[in-house]
Amino acid sequence: MGFREINPKMVEATVAPGQRLFSQRGAMLAYRGDVTFTPSVTGGQGGVMSMIGRRIADEDTPLMTVEGSGTVLFGHGGHHVQVIRLSGDTLYVEADRLLAFEGTLEQRTVFLGSQGGVMGMVRGQVGGQGLFTTALSGHGAVAVMAHGGVFEIPVTPQRPVHVDPQAYVAHHGDVRNRLSTALGWRDMVGRGSGEAFQLELSGSGAVYVQASEEKL
Amino acid sequence: MFRLQSSKVLAVEMTGDAVKAKNGSMVAYDGEMAFRKLSGGGEGIRGMVTRRLTGEQMTMMEVKGQGTCWFADRAAEINLVSLQGDRLYVEASNLLAADASLRTGTGFTGMRGASQGNGLFTTTVEGHGQAAIMSDGPAVVLRVSARYPLTVDPGAYVAHQGDLRQSFQSGVTFRTALGEGGGEAFQIRFEGEGLVYVQPSERNTIAGDV
Repeated sequence: MGFREINPKMVEATVAPGQRLFSQRGAMLAYRGDVTFTPSVTGGQGGVMSMIGRRIADEDTPLMTVEGSGTVLFGHGGHHVQVIRLSGDTLYVEADRLLAFEGTLEQRTVFLGSQGGVMGMVRGQVGGQGLFTTALSGHGAVAVMAHGGVFEIPVTPQRPVHVDPQAYVAHHGDVRNRLSTALGWRDMVGRGSGEAFQLELSGSGAVYVQASEEKL
Repeated sequence: MFRLQSSKVLAVEMTGDAVKAKNGSMVAYDGEMAFRKLSGGGEGIRGMVTRRLTGEQMTMMEVKGQGTCWFADRAAEINLVSLQGDRLYVEASNLLAADASLRTGTGFTGMRGASQGNGLFTTTVEGHGQAAIMSDGPAVVLRVSARYPLTVDPGAYVAHQGDLRQSFQSGVTFRTALGEGGGEAFQIRFEGEGLVYVQPSERNTIAGDV
């Protein structure tokens, strides 16, 4: 089980009976063996209520369920793929960056506004991510897409990390996020350094940052 | 201290000193950092006027503080260049970051710039310190010596440093005029002693069309 990185832009997943995977619809490149792909209306666990929740939250990137026995290759749009393994903690990631994840993980939609009040909402808007994000928790692996590869920065209580909202990919662990502004009079007169908004992450965990300021 | 986090991400360790970087290229930092836009590339009023006149626009910011700052721009490959009193010539759009102690200015390129479609001027970086330049795909560094001059496609040229003379070569023949050119009608020839950075990709240039 799990994902194996074939090259920086492709992952191979092994599916066995009784173990299912979720992947972004249309992200399958090739498969071997007896594997079925069914559109997952509810997009994971949670039933109808969470499905409605996701629809409202605009985090309803179409998912499909992958079941059977064999191996499946995933990739999408030539983006770099990063495999993140979770052991009991929670990963926060944007739904459209999710390439595939194991069925053992629990998926839910979280409202960013609840983390940091009004600034949390502003954060969602500035990051171009809407006000909701997807949280995956449990034990298993997640394949996340990013433009130009990803690197991981550890976050410790003594060492908060600031990230450009456009370059932010995902974070895990017990991390609080807050949008900090460095707006000065220079930004008002169009003389800004282009770094007026920053995402401040504090707590303990890690943040994943991509090598580009382009959205997917 | 400049360090490559990956081939596409530059990490700069700072202890109260400053670096110049392309505007908006910060992707993350820890510690305390302050960002300030440098008008006219931090070259003062004269630099501002020169850059406006030459069309070699460069929007840089000054990053100052303590901690680590990571820079990246549209997933471009990054190459580190160390300068020991010599001069680096690079297109403003390919310069990602430089030590604040390095002087930047504008230089004349002549026909090379025109053939690249980049204008007649380029950016110069000189002094002692490190700079990071960007290329589309991993760049190769080719050494030029007195006995081995080098000829480069204008579209694949990224930067050069050292004591180099450049001349413009044209391979235009009657075949080119008939539309049967090999696509390599213009080249830049480097002679002297120095290094030339070449990327595995060609920008769209007039030279590529003929």
